[in-house]
Amino acid sequence: MKQVSYGKGWILLITLLVGLLIANISIGSVQIPLSKLFLSLYTDQPLFSDILWHFRIPKALTCLLAGSALATAGLLMQTLFRNPMAGPDVLGLTSGASLLVALVILLGQFSTIFKGVLFHNSWSVALAASLGGGLVFILIISIAKYVKDNAALLIIGLMISAATSSLVSVMQYTSKADDLQAFLIWTLGSMGNTNWTEISVLAIVVALGLGISYGSVKSLNSWLLGENYARSLNINMGRSRLWIVVATGLLTGSVTAFCGPIAFVGLAVPHLVRLIIPVTNHKILMPAVMMGGSILLLFCDLVAQLPGSTQILPLNAITSLIGAPVVIWMVIKSKRISV
Amino acid sequence: MSESTLIMLQTRNLAAGYKLDGKDFPLFDNLNLNLNKGELVCFMGSNGIGKTTLIRTLVGLQKPLRGSTEIPSKDSVALVLTDKITSSIMTVYDLVSYGRYPYLNWNVQLSPYDHRLIEESIKRVHLEPLAQKRISELSDGQLQMAMLAKALAQDTAILFLDEPTAHLDLNNRVEIMNLLRTLCRTEGKTVLVATHELDLALQTADRIWLATNERKILEGIPEDLVLDGTFDEVFRFKGFDLKSGKVSQEPYRKKALQLEGQGHEYLWTKNALERTGYEINAASAIKIKVTHKDKAITWNLSNENTEINFTNLSGLLDSLAKD
Repeated sequence: MKQVSYGKGWILLITLLVGLLIANISIGSVQIPLSKLFLSLYTDQPLFSDILWHFRIPKALTCLLAGSALATAGLLMQTLFRNPMAGPDVLGLTSGASLLVALVILLGQFSTIFKGVLFHNSWSVALAASLGGGLVFILIISIAKYVKDNAALLIIGLMISAATSSLVSVMQYTSKADDLQAFLIWTLGSMGNTNWTEISVLAIVVALGLGISYGSVKSLNSWLLGENYARSLNINMGRSRLWIVVATGLLTGSVTAFCGPIAFVGLAVPHLVRLIIPVTNHKILMPAVMMGGSILLLFCDLVAQLPGSTQILPLNAITSLIGAPVVIWMVIKSKRISV
Repeated sequence: MSESTLIMLQTRNLAAGYKLDGKDFPLFDNLNLNLNKGELVCFMGSNGIGKTTLIRTLVGLQKPLRGSTEIPSKDSVALVLTDKITSSIMTVYDLVSYGRYPYLNWNVQLSPYDHRLIEESIKRVHLEPLAQKRISELSDGQLQMAMLAKALAQDTAILFLDEPTAHLDLNNRVEIMNLLRTLCRTEGKTVLVATHELDLALQTADRIWLATNERKILEGIPEDLVLDGTFDEVFRFKGFDLKSGKVSQEPYRKKALQLEGQGHEYLWTKNALERTGYEINAASAIKIKVTHKDKAITWNLSNENTEINFTNLSGLLDSLAKD
């Protein structure tokens, strides 16, 4: 009756992660051969060393952090709502972030003060996104206190998304072409715009979110049985729901702030990882999902670089282009999909 | 009540129901019930009368409108509910291991003792070969057994089951009820089962709780409730005679027959004749005699002038219908 350990799945995940990490660092508009990669990190080869420390490694680290954060947030939402279609954006955090970023970028034209102080500051967009996500987040948490039903919470999140999205549309309609382009570029997502300071902030917030998530494995497992059974197992559902929402907010909010609204990773990765390691125990599933998220983002970022060219494709287009067919294939193959 | 009886659960003037717009809608009121150690109690009542609500209230999943329930501790009740488990990749083993959750910390690290209890629980419900199967691959009966194993792994003094035998075939129903009865007898567990299976409840329960339309619960041992007409009153049986345990038959053919015989073959012949609308009457001129010899059953049909033998009942019924 002993339980299966899925050794092969873990080896596959680790191999993919390490392989893609190395590939992500060495491949780009300037090719850095593997043989010189490690040497360049510490010896004085000005060109390679500069590229690595200023561009490639920050970008790869951002992929690692953002991927694991978004995938874990997706897992949390799918488990909390017991709904396979839930993702980190269902609570409306991403749309809240988009709204404030749109305000800063699109309405910047009306105020030279805004333009001077905010738009030319690399932190302005991040701050706006955090603030927007944070406001929706506080709204959701206060609603969650009154609405005890998860499905109702899901619907409220979707409605907040819809409302903020339409506000953004109105702003887009009335904005200047230049500002519109700047906003559109933000919505396409990017891993390459983070400097070391931003990465440190991202890392701290993501680590906090992941820590809370991992601390909630017992209640997450229990959510899978539904509220009645979970409560009969002495799980404090109200508190656990609050922690799960807090963790999701931190994970989604921080990534959206620094990388833009990255689509699809949170929705797809938990399902893909369950194909390789089919467990429901979050203690095992969550680390695997974290690795899976990093793998998917590293891979998408690699494809977005268009190896061998200097062109860069929008990241969000790649995540959806790669993710969507994979999930369709997976649903067709396994005939069913569940959390 | 003997002196050795140990009360495991007791309600005091309990009112269970729901609140709507600040108003109370009690489904049960002023309940003073108890459950004793080692007792199997079947909780019966019509659909929608509030059995699930009362169970939820008794275990504290729902607040009582008034009154209270006393149980040894909050951890002393394990539940089997009608809630569906939506996860399709969860294994039986994982499902059963949830029973150990009340004893684990945040890290859900199962000890060897936990693993032993989980395995024992799976063995008790005969699911060892399916332990690593996904619950989506189980039949309804097997899934119900797995849920029961989860409750067993919880290792509590009291078990509450809400319609554990719904949608199951006779074999599975009997197996579950027998297992529950064994748990009461050998391990002194206290079991409360909400069920619609009248026949099974009558044959296995130590006591019956019977929900009435007047928001009360009548209790007693099954036979007393049958004989004093309580069941008839509550269920208002339509075409079912509880005292004989049979569906009442209308002798629509207006034809009486005399039946002679013994044992099972007599009973089933009587069943066949009544089911097809004949009246059994010793004064009738037409006589059927059932004899059993060397594993062969013979039905002898006779009246004043003729006599025919049949080797099966359908032949006999066909011949009777032609007359």
